[in-house]
Amino acid sequence: MSLCFTLAANAASFSLFSRKPDGPAIYKQQCAKCHGVAGQGVKDKYSDALVGDWSVEKLTRYIAKTMPEDKPGSCTGPHADAVARYIYDAFYSREARARNKPARVELVRLTNRQNLLAVADLFRASEEPKVTPGKGLAAVGYKSRTTRREDKVLERNDTKIEFDFGKGRPEWAGEGTNGFALNWTGSVIADESGDYEFVVKTANGIRLWVNDDDKPLIDGSVSSFKGVEHTATLRLIGGRAYPLRLEFFKTSRDPLANVTLLWQPPHGARQVIPARNLAPERAATTFILSTPFPADDSSVGYERGVSVSKEWDEAVTHVAIEVATHVTKNLDRLTRSKPNDKDRAEKVAAFCAELVAKAFRRPLTDEQKNLFVTLPLRSAAKLEDGVKRVVLLTLKSPRFLYLGIEGAQPDDFTVAERLSFGLWDSLPDAALMKAAGEGKLRTREEVTAQARRMLADARTRGKVQYFLHRWLQMNHIEDLTKDPNLYPGFTPEIISDLRTSLNLFLDDVVWTDSSDYRRLVLEDDFFVNSRLAKFYGINTEATEDFVRVQLDPKQRSGVITHPYLLAAFSYNKSSSPIHRGVFLTRNIVGRALRPPPIAVAFKDADFKPGMTMREKITELTRPQACHSCHAVINPLGFALENFDAVGRFRDKDGNRPVDTAADYTQDDGGVVRLKGARDIAEFAVKSEHAHNAFIEQLFNQVVKQPLPAYGNDTLNQLRLSFVQSGYNIQKLLVDIATVSALHGIEKPASTTKKKS
Amino acid sequence: MNALHRRTFLKQAGLSAATLPFITGLPSLGLAAPARPRQRLVFMFSPNGTIPANYWPDAAGADFQLKEIMTPLADFKDRMLVLNGVCNKVRGDGDSHMRGMSCLLTGIELFPGNIMGGGGAPAGWASGISIDQEIKNHLQKSDDTRTRFGSLEFGVGVTDRADPWTRMSYAGANKPIAPISDPYQMYEKLYGQMKDKENLQSVLDTVKGDLQKIGKLISAEDRRLLEEHQALVRQMEQEIANAKQQKLNAAPPTLGEGIADQNDNLPRLSRMQIDLLVNSFVNDMARVATLQFTKSVGMARMNWLDIKDGHHSLSHEPDNNADAVAKLTKINKWFAGELAYLVQKLATTPEPGGEGKMIDNTLIVWTNELGKGNSHTLDNIPFLLIGGAPGFSMGRSLKLDKVAHNRLHLALAHAMGHRLETFGKAALCDGGPLKLS
Repeated sequence: MSLCFTLAANAASFSLFSRKPDGPAIYKQQCAKCHGVAGQGVKDKYSDALVGDWSVEKLTRYIAKTMPEDKPGSCTGPHADAVARYIYDAFYSREARARNKPARVELVRLTNRQNLLAVADLFRASEEPKVTPGKGLAAVGYKSRTTRREDKVLERNDTKIEFDFGKGRPEWAGEGTNGFALNWTGSVIADESGDYEFVVKTANGIRLWVNDDDKPLIDGSVSSFKGVEHTATLRLIGGRAYPLRLEFFKTSRDPLANVTLLWQPPHGARQVIPARNLAPERAATTFILSTPFPADDSSVGYERGVSVSKEWDEAVTHVAIEVATHVTKNLDRLTRSKPNDKDRAEKVAAFCAELVAKAFRRPLTDEQKNLFVTLPLRSAAKLEDGVKRVVLLTLKSPRFLYLGIEGAQPDDFTVAERLSFGLWDSLPDAALMKAAGEGKLRTREEVTAQARRMLADARTRGKVQYFLHRWLQMNHIEDLTKDPNLYPGFTPEIISDLRTSLNLFLDDVVWTDSSDYRRLVLEDDFFVNSRLAKFYGINTEATEDFVRVQLDPKQRSGVITHPYLLAAFSYNKSSSPIHRGVFLTRNIVGRALRPPPIAVAFKDADFKPGMTMREKITELTRPQACHSCHAVINPLGFALENFDAVGRFRDKDGNRPVDTAADYTQDDGGVVRLKGARDIAEFAVKSEHAHNAFIEQLFNQVVKQPLPAYGNDTLNQLRLSFVQSGYNIQKLLVDIATVSALHGIEKPASTTKKKS
Repeated sequence: MNALHRRTFLKQAGLSAATLPFITGLPSLGLAAPARPRQRLVFMFSPNGTIPANYWPDAAGADFQLKEIMTPLADFKDRMLVLNGVCNKVRGDGDSHMRGMSCLLTGIELFPGNIMGGGGAPAGWASGISIDQEIKNHLQKSDDTRTRFGSLEFGVGVTDRADPWTRMSYAGANKPIAPISDPYQMYEKLYGQMKDKENLQSVLDTVKGDLQKIGKLISAEDRRLLEEHQALVRQMEQEIANAKQQKLNAAPPTLGEGIADQNDNLPRLSRMQIDLLVNSFVNDMARVATLQFTKSVGMARMNWLDIKDGHHSLSHEPDNNADAVAKLTKINKWFAGELAYLVQKLATTPEPGGEGKMIDNTLIVWTNELGKGNSHTLDNIPFLLIGGAPGFSMGRSLKLDKVAHNRLHLALAHAMGHRLETFGKAALCDGGPLKLS
């Protein structure tokens, strides 16, 4: 890019300035009326703040070419340079922003997710049974409809529950006239958090229990032979196993026998529950709130608890009541005592004290014990009401609801809390509390060792999935259906399979030893089942379950080319280079974008028939106002034009060959020629910008505080360590957890002793 | 299907999303005088048929004598309408007990199904809605008859099993409604919110104090959030105080503690449930109720009457077994006594916001799944109406000519302001509502 220096001409128009242009003065004179005196923006003029990631040089060129708006070309050369430098140093750059408004660790309340998980973990046993997903459920068969021990004739594992016995009897049931029965037990593993609809299709009698050992979720023991579909919906937390039991029986009168166990997971299609979500061992039940919450503030790109509202206060109150009801209903089990036991009151008080300490994440002082346990227990005539009062008080207490309110000095329990909410969004477990109690969370080594231990817990997987889904914007995707005439066969089942495929891929990258971030964008292995293989024309041995296949590396490159995301960032009838480009800009190459200055809707009918998508978008974003951003967005989006609206590879857009080559302008003004997805991926894995963006997004989602609040050099340190580790995501996670846990505690030397 | 899952329970206890916000969302408990008298309807069920000779009055008309079983109700003879000759004419799948029970309030066939009875074809659930639910749905449709629950289903000693012998209320085809047999659970459903509010109120002061204490420990910037939070707690305190101004017509009854749901406690459980039923009516939480004693084929052992045999086994004994007849008479008389307790309460409680006593505007239908235990007949089911409703002239014994019970249901619906033309199996509705005026 060449720039003309027209100093003479401009000197005339800026005659009031001396020979050495005065940046602040020019800004005040020419820019402030639209951008505000401190670049904060002016309503009805240019309301966005002047902040961003361009270099001074790029800013200078932009100003010279386009500013001021009513007289572009009138501020160039040294004038443009001076004003650009002033803007950059005064408020535009990251450093200036950090200086002007130093980020700080704010007081935050629990997010909704944290509240839900913390309540679940309040009742979690310290030892959870191990379950091994993939093996299906344990089955026991009986040769009569009753399930008497002497009628037991079968024990085996069933990878899925989908049986049609027809009019006869299965071979294992032998001869007989009194029907037969099957009981399945084990666990069901939820991949994602949300509402799961369980479905049992059968012509016979069934009962189904999920995450509740007493009350069946579905009681279909009375049946009318016709194929009946029983359904019931249950909220589950992703990444956890739940006990499941299904009883099935055929009486002598039932003409047919069949049973299928299905579900519709959140974001998924109704399907037979696959083997990978079933395990033969019984998991422990999890207490899951049914209270709905008002959405958390996520205006800065991640959910955080920086505000309270009446709706929130009422939800929190509901939660407290729901938990109080749960506790009183299960008081015998929870306190291991019976109503008439002599030591009932004692046991109940001890249980309450334990519950409060768990909820507050620290041991109680005598004063607190009195205030939160003894007094409320004593205040009610009935023991149960006293217990309810303890729970209500505890769950409405700021000590439960807020993080880091220990007061003047963070201590060992603060570290434990930061680690557990960082990695799990939940309460510290017994091991962490023990370490805190013994003063073993004081050195960097100790904290890092705990973080590493915690990585192995399923809750960390849940948290990482939570991050990845936000990084890839998968949490917003609700409807991926496309025009059925243009994309026949792109069914809800395919969409559901694609999400599973992407989840499997993400898990595979993060949870193998190398945990290499670069694989996320460079990998050419994908997970497909037979349905996906058929739709996407992939040659592989057909199987119902997902297998890893290698695709053409010239075509596919990691998440960038995963059809789920390609379809998500597409229109109903066509690809959308803008949506794809914006996603790549922000989340893969890590550039900041402002909201569009003018709203322009894409209407296909506005364009001449026969134009390619690329031509249409080029036309659409031609106006000068679009340029500053679309010069970045479009080349990235065009590089993916090889993929249609459902993510299938294509050479042609309509009848015209696809052109994916485009020049991408870097933040320093340098230009890179990109010819396809792999070029973007290779550019990204080498880009500091991209690394920083990934680290900062992970940090924000994990810690829920602004990264700059943890020190000016923290991002840099994290990146150096990340690069050194071979871009190991697990290692980065441990680093982030450690940095945030030790914030304000760690002295320069990690061996600093603290008095206890 | 009938499982009272935790979420369902929360929903019933009024704790679901649908009832947010918690405090302001409470249905108004203050009762203005109604535009029309509140008309109520109760179905009371006891099982295994009756002993006709000791039940049916000999005479028809206003001048009749009560037989042994009905003697506990002597005080209310002028409020009674004894309906001899009402038959459950629904046929099809299921044994007599099953049809007797699941067709009793539905008036329609059972689906074929996998539940094998003591005779006849096996069957499934009823294929239609029951009359109590039909009337409840009608009442819930308009503002001046809508109540918090619409209907309440009480049980006394109903076993924890869901099959056509244990269910008489149906929300629709294949949708049986489980009665609540545990009075404490019913109490929670009716008054849990109130109790929760009381408990909540007792802790808010401490919550406020704690917020204040913590506020002092943190920076001024962060304190803002806690101050906002404190304001919300104060607001909730105020709202609870305001809500408390709305008084119940009657305080919730005090239930004895720790009465387990088991056979020998039936007399106490029965009284607890009846107390709750009357209380819920006084506070206008529902206009329709069912009160189900055990279930069809119920095996209550009435040790408190010195009867050691199970009720159902006894009911199979032939007519010439004098001992069995005496015991069954005693058993049925006990049920009549429970009914008398209910009637007595309604007869002594003033109609809230209206004139007279509650019994004037409450019609109780005492019924059974069989006419007679040892014959399993569905004819001459002991239908006793007691109380008052528009279109019903009480203080009489009627001998009807084998009328289908669907027509009685039509008459009940009309009395409750729901002018149905047919109910259940339409062919059994010929002749329209029974004329009982």
